[in-house]
Amino acid sequence: MADAPKKRTTDIGPPHYEQFLPPAIKKNYGQWKYHEILRAGVMKHVAENGDAVYTVRAGGSRLMSIDKIRMICDLADKYADGHLRFTSRHNIEFMFTDEKKIDTLIADLKKIGHPVGGTGPSITSIVHTQGWVHCHSAATDASGIVKSVMDAVIGHFENMDLPAKCRIALACCLNMCGAVHCSDIAILGIHRRPPKINHDLLHKTCEIPNVVSACPTAAIKPTTVNGKPSVTVDEERCMFCANCYTVCPSMTLNNPLNDGVSIWIGGKVSNARHEPMFSKLAIPYIENNPPRWPEVVEAVVNIIDVWKNNARKYERIGEWIERIGWPNFFKLSGIEFGKMHIDDFKHAGLTFKRSAQLTY
Amino acid sequence: MAEKVSVAEVAEKMYKMVKEAQGMRKLKAMDLTKNIMEIYGDRVDKQTCKDAIREIIETEKCVYTYFGGSYIELPHKEGAANP
Amino acid sequence: MADELPKTPMLDELEKGPWPSFVSEIKMAAKRSPASKDLLGILERSYQEKIGHWKHGGIVGVLGYGGGVIGRYCDVPQDFPNVAHFHTIRVNQPAGWYYKTDALRKICDIWEKRGSGMTNMHGSTGDIILLGTSTDQLEPIFEELTAIGFDLGGSGSDVRTPSCCLGKSRCEWACYDTMAACHDFTKNYQDELHRPAFPYKFKFKFSGCPNDCVASVARADMSIIGTWRDNIRIDQKAVGDYASAGVDVTKEIVNLCPAKCMDWDGKMLKIDNSTCRRCMHCINVMPKALRPGKDTGACILIGSKAPIVEGALLSSVIVPFIKMEPPYQEIRDLVERIWDLWCDEGKNRERIGEFIQRVGLGNFLEMIEVEPAAQMVAHPRENPYVFYEEYFEEGEEEAEN
Ligand code: SF4
Ligand code: SF4
Repeated sequence: MADAPKKRTTDIGPPHYEQFLPPAIKKNYGQWKYHEILRAGVMKHVAENGDAVYTVRAGGSRLMSIDKIRMICDLADKYADGHLRFTSRHNIEFMFTDEKKIDTLIADLKKIGHPVGGTGPSITSIVHTQGWVHCHSAATDASGIVKSVMDAVIGHFENMDLPAKCRIALACCLNMCGAVHCSDIAILGIHRRPPKINHDLLHKTCEIPNVVSACPTAAIKPTTVNGKPSVTVDEERCMFCANCYTVCPSMTLNNPLNDGVSIWIGGKVSNARHEPMFSKLAIPYIENNPPRWPEVVEAVVNIIDVWKNNARKYERIGEWIERIGWPNFFKLSGIEFGKMHIDDFKHAGLTFKRSAQLTY
Repeated sequence: MAEKVSVAEVAEKMYKMVKEAQGMRKLKAMDLTKNIMEIYGDRVDKQTCKDAIREIIETEKCVYTYFGGSYIELPHKEGAANP
Repeated sequence: MADELPKTPMLDELEKGPWPSFVSEIKMAAKRSPASKDLLGILERSYQEKIGHWKHGGIVGVLGYGGGVIGRYCDVPQDFPNVAHFHTIRVNQPAGWYYKTDALRKICDIWEKRGSGMTNMHGSTGDIILLGTSTDQLEPIFEELTAIGFDLGGSGSDVRTPSCCLGKSRCEWACYDTMAACHDFTKNYQDELHRPAFPYKFKFKFSGCPNDCVASVARADMSIIGTWRDNIRIDQKAVGDYASAGVDVTKEIVNLCPAKCMDWDGKMLKIDNSTCRRCMHCINVMPKALRPGKDTGACILIGSKAPIVEGALLSSVIVPFIKMEPPYQEIRDLVERIWDLWCDEGKNRERIGEFIQRVGLGNFLEMIEVEPAAQMVAHPRENPYVFYEEYFEEGEEEAEN
């Protein structure tokens, strides 16, 4: 950083959104009356004055090259006067006022490999984290599982054929950069062994008090190894959360033999009908099996199928299970219930069944 | 009320704190602010501390680092924190 | 230079199938960028070995900022020298993620010249993610980004890049202008966003209605969710139209109302608005017939987070209702009281939600000068261990008279 530029501009914040709004959106800002989903991935929004705007929503992969962004820009130039937007789940939306453009845009999107859908009672793009593409603490890859799962469930993206919406999310470790913990289906990378400590390096790379205080279960204690200050981990107490690794690179959790994936279900964030709720553990561990993680895909497809075949209209996975009860879910899905499903962290007692209202 | 301490003086003091703690304890912006407030009492306010932090960073005497949280440290050699 | 791509038999499997393939994306970038070519190689190795090859690198950034750049190095630089450094840049997205193509193309041009050509549109928090560059490129990239009107987002113990749903721009349910509020807060807290001064991260998310399309209740330290206080607007004729078009109003709407506050006799839809919970279900199902009321604003919830460190939390109510009008002074004052307290009393890496768990919501409210309200709890306490703070002393009653 020897010669920093003389006139640095800082703290300007993001550009103002108004300059990016499509004209019909800008004109009717705050004046919308209702909307309809014309078919999967195509919406019509109508303003008080009768103006209509059509939106085509295409599925995207979170990891995109600038080459693809430019292709998408070409389509936005051709169909939407150079305007586009992204959704919070990596989808790409084009908005315009001429209904006749819908079909040709969809065809052009197909040509560059992007399906249209993800509206209403469907599965939309999976939100996920970086995985082996860019993360130091990943217990699994993110993009590979996401691609494999979406290949298998794309029918539910392109058709609104589910009881309700189904939000799938993936995080490659408990850090959950993606905060997946309130998803209908969460795929979560997990470590299963305590950190391996590099005693030679630890005192050079990490401040020991910080490492000790990073552990939520107080499993880490200061010690001396070969005359060098270091730490020990009480393996009985370690829950493989990798908090220590986050603050100290000399405590690696990554372990190819034991890392893998767990599956959590029944969470939601919207307030519609049931209040927001956390996802709950369905499958404690599935081995990493790249490149296509067939066991994970099969597990997700099974959960969706069982839900689809048994739930009532508007019931999201969590609402459905709440009605039929978890024992019925395990019976219907064929997933085995075991010790690991029972919570043993703080307030675990609140998750025990505290009544005789049971199904058999 | 006592005379206010200058931003430059606070910055110098903060820099010394970072230097002394280096290798033993990582300090956060709020640690520096708290320590300074303890030393100078009502002769400093939070804004002075903020400005002082900005000064030690922008003169490159110290840098922000990130290890599961943000800290203020002496500049590292590239890659030096990596095993 | 990058004409021949490495052999990637495992990754090639992920080019099959109908969903867009990230492998094809990396291959496109790799035709031009040596870094993306090595990214392919190192990722193939991870697939073979079932382990990641990236290391921490929390020591790089642009001058003066403590956020916006995530340092990353690979652990096998001898084999993949072009990703020896592979830092990420977070670029603050415009509110609502709307773009014009010329702005996006300019970002692509900078990234073609100075980075791997790989991006995330967008990262989990909302930023545009530019994935993979070397330390010497950071300052030039920053200079070029600011020249086209973009700035870096947050990372570390600071305000993270706020995000919002598209709100009033295209949604008839938006109870306040989420994009305006998001932009306003982002601009107002630039210093807090770029210069980490907190115990840990702090996220704002703005959702226009209780459908909460940006998942603020699960992922924001402060979740600002639009709602209304008056009555749901009903167009009885449109309800009838839905019914004749085949919607079973009783089964699909009335019976699923969590408040059991609706009634439908085949002609008239009645709602007892005093017990309606503003859940949005009925409005979602019949958008042409039902609309949120006109006395709109937001409720503010606080404290959600992922599991690290002390377990996952959902946000909980701290302001049951507030009007959302610029300059949002009341909210700003509240935010500043919260930050002051948290910076004084919070522990390193303690999110505000964890802080509240530690000190207790009742005490927290007192410390930030907010009156308790019944909307803040699911139900009153069940345990009788109450810390009574007021009591009578012998003889006091007379003294007061
Ligand atoms: S992985 Fe988590 S529980 Fe185990 S030692 Fe590290 S911080 Fe403690
Ligand atoms: S918004 Fe929800 S609670 Fe209110 S009337 Fe409609 S369904 Fe019932």
